[in-house]
Amino acid sequence: MPTRVETLDNGLKVILRPIPDTKALSTWVVYRIGSRNEVPGMTGSTHWVEHMLFKGGGKLGKGDIDKMISRLGGKMNAFTDTDYTMYFETIPAGAMDTALMIESERMRNAAFDPKEVEAERTVVISEREGAENQPDFAVEEELWGLAFHVHPYHWTAIGYKQDLATLDRDPLYRHYLRFYAPNNASLVLVGGFDPAVAMQHIREAFGPLKPETPPDPLRLSEPEQHGERRSDLERPGPADLLSAGWHIPAASHDDIPALVLLTTVLGGWRGTVPFAAGDWQPRSNRLYRALVDTRLATDVGVRQEMKLDPALLIASVTLARGASLDRVEAVLDREVEKLQRAPPPKAELARARQQVRAWARYEQDGVTFQGILLSAGEGLGSWEFGEALLAKVEKVRAEQVRAVARAYLVDAHRTVVRFHAQEVPA
Amino acid sequence: MNLPDRTVLENGAVLVSHALPSNPFIAFRGSVPAGVAAEGSDVGVAEFTSRLLLSGTRRRSAAKLADRLEGIGATLEFHNGEELLSFQGRCTRETAAETVRILVECLSGPSFPPKEIERVRGELLNDVRIEADDTRARAFRELARLVFPKDHPYGRDPKGGEAPIRRIRRADIVSFHEAHVGPEGLILAATGDVDRAVLDDAIAAPLSRLRGDEGGPPAIPPPPPHRPGSAWLPMPHKTQVDIAIGAPGVPRRHADYYALNLANLLFGRIGLYGRLGRNLRDEQGLAYYAFSGLDARTAGGMWSISAGVNSANLGKAIESIRAEMDRLRTEPFTLEEITDGKDNQMGSLIVSLERNAEVASELHRMEYYGLGMDFLERYPEIIAGLTGERVRDVARKYFLPSASSMVVAGPVGRTRFRL
Repeated sequence: MPTRVETLDNGLKVILRPIPDTKALSTWVVYRIGSRNEVPGMTGSTHWVEHMLFKGGGKLGKGDIDKMISRLGGKMNAFTDTDYTMYFETIPAGAMDTALMIESERMRNAAFDPKEVEAERTVVISEREGAENQPDFAVEEELWGLAFHVHPYHWTAIGYKQDLATLDRDPLYRHYLRFYAPNNASLVLVGGFDPAVAMQHIREAFGPLKPETPPDPLRLSEPEQHGERRSDLERPGPADLLSAGWHIPAASHDDIPALVLLTTVLGGWRGTVPFAAGDWQPRSNRLYRALVDTRLATDVGVRQEMKLDPALLIASVTLARGASLDRVEAVLDREVEKLQRAPPPKAELARARQQVRAWARYEQDGVTFQGILLSAGEGLGSWEFGEALLAKVEKVRAEQVRAVARAYLVDAHRTVVRFHAQEVPA
Repeated sequence: MNLPDRTVLENGAVLVSHALPSNPFIAFRGSVPAGVAAEGSDVGVAEFTSRLLLSGTRRRSAAKLADRLEGIGATLEFHNGEELLSFQGRCTRETAAETVRILVECLSGPSFPPKEIERVRGELLNDVRIEADDTRARAFRELARLVFPKDHPYGRDPKGGEAPIRRIRRADIVSFHEAHVGPEGLILAATGDVDRAVLDDAIAAPLSRLRGDEGGPPAIPPPPPHRPGSAWLPMPHKTQVDIAIGAPGVPRRHADYYALNLANLLFGRIGLYGRLGRNLRDEQGLAYYAFSGLDARTAGGMWSISAGVNSANLGKAIESIRAEMDRLRTEPFTLEEITDGKDNQMGSLIVSLERNAEVASELHRMEYYGLGMDFLERYPEIIAGLTGERVRDVARKYFLPSASSMVVAGPVGRTRFRL
């Protein structure tokens, strides 16, 4: 789709995708700051900063963002990832200036009123406590904590409760000032607008903002894992869970397209953007056949975490009542071994490729989803990430799928978390 | 926007559609009246049936169905609800004909293999346990039972519970399917990359070959009177408490619906959850989420409040919710609030209909509730016609603490608070 890219003098990269027939406009700003840029003792600070950016500052009073977007019938939100943070508004296209004003104000002028910071402390703790109610959150936190000893992927974006309880306003504000600047961000517009007019308004709104000294590149890298790591959690819960994560390279690595097809053959494909697939459950994959069809499990999923730094490919299983974790793990091992032994047959590979191809279209559903696709791509290095990945997936050969299974799905690089559901207390 | 296209096929099925050429695929959503309301005393059979529709047909096994659907990159899902067995999917214009043929095959000729029945039985039993361990799901399940008593379909767990799940036999499923799944009452809404040729050749043609029941949709009785109550569900192993508060609302076609919908928007939805969110989240920092909801169905509905809080703040949170409900009488919605809410509803016509999936859902709602294909054109007039007094009146009438039930699930301790 036609897309125009420009960079302002202050370093803000602007990506414009006009869609002539559309009356809506989605505006996204993605900052190259995530929980990977945090240090121990300050975990969760990026996410907390994200919350503070809805609380006014500069031309915006408390509650103004909420009110302005609501009056337009718009939707807005923000997401903090390990690698980037994104903010968006989807509004009627005629109200473009409102979105540009909000995003330019909060890029440098967020208030961080000490009283508001304090009020938000319990909100982010409450968000974490809501997640703690779910057994799979415990498994996820344990998995990343165990798989990464050095790199900040060790913790999840929500942060540790003890840090959320003690973090002060000033370090949060410094964190904001350090990373929220035009030269550490990209602005994405998708929808009904004229690119020349939009550029003029963008220059007016963002042009005066001063750049910051660029943040130092992250110098931490995870040393190679030598030997499998395991954890057995015993807690009250409704079902046993198994999660296995293998180290895989960063999103920019040449092996990623083959790993996409490996993921799809093993566990199906649900697109690269969270939310797009909803409740849809792929069923033609090997783990579904080996675990759900055989009644050992009621749910199975495989996801490839595509990140700036080497991350994980994760297989997650919800066990059926009476099924044993040992048995399920043995089946998982067997399926991985099969992929290492022989390349997937032609028909199976074609099916996997077709799923990836189809989801690349389904993820273009409307201006908001296109905005998230471009912004998340930008967070990983380029707005063209998704399109470029699909082009590379088209060229992957069956033998390459076997090669990445052999290279990455090895026990010595694997972390396994088993959740042994204990009887729920009366 | 152009009016959506509506076609009644010879077999009685209704096809509604609207083109959104900028979204490069087709999304569809549809239903047949084979939800919980149709199952009578065969509790749980509707859910069981819905989960088996991708488990094999007379022509193909479950594996072959999945291979073919995913081989063409299409998606197809079936879900059970209180009134409807609904289905939804995605495909491209090139794969639309085959996807709809598979949909028709799944609806008309499921084989219900015994092995798949046992697989689904295990899945349902696991889901019942998982839901029972989820504070919010559990609180809302119990709230629905209180608001819609006497085993009304709106108050029943669609899964039926452990005993019915263990009891259901293949013959029960076959007979439910034969009696309730067919073209009668079927609606399919399609949107995105559609035009006349796709609609006629790829969607209407295979859909018109569907044959089956002639019973028509079941009559859904009005819910029995609600006697407000409360329930405390201790779950000491959890970190956070979920509060669910609710009372009967109105059916979708009720005269109060639009005013109530706006009142609900202002009370607990607009922006960061309206008045409720401003108080509990923004001002007091008690909860990450505190919002209200309004369900309006054929024979009744429910408005509800949901909040997740730390147990140390439970009393304060309930007191604050109560204060916001009382405020509807002492400090009714201001003119500014009402104007903001109406502006929001007008603007959301553009914003909430930008995705294929959203448009397909809206088209389906328009047809199912008989709102008319010109509904979206009339909507601004309906909203403009709402007076502030009417919105304030319905808020006072329906959002009454004394008429509400409350359920609290989580690490609740021994102290019990009243709404």
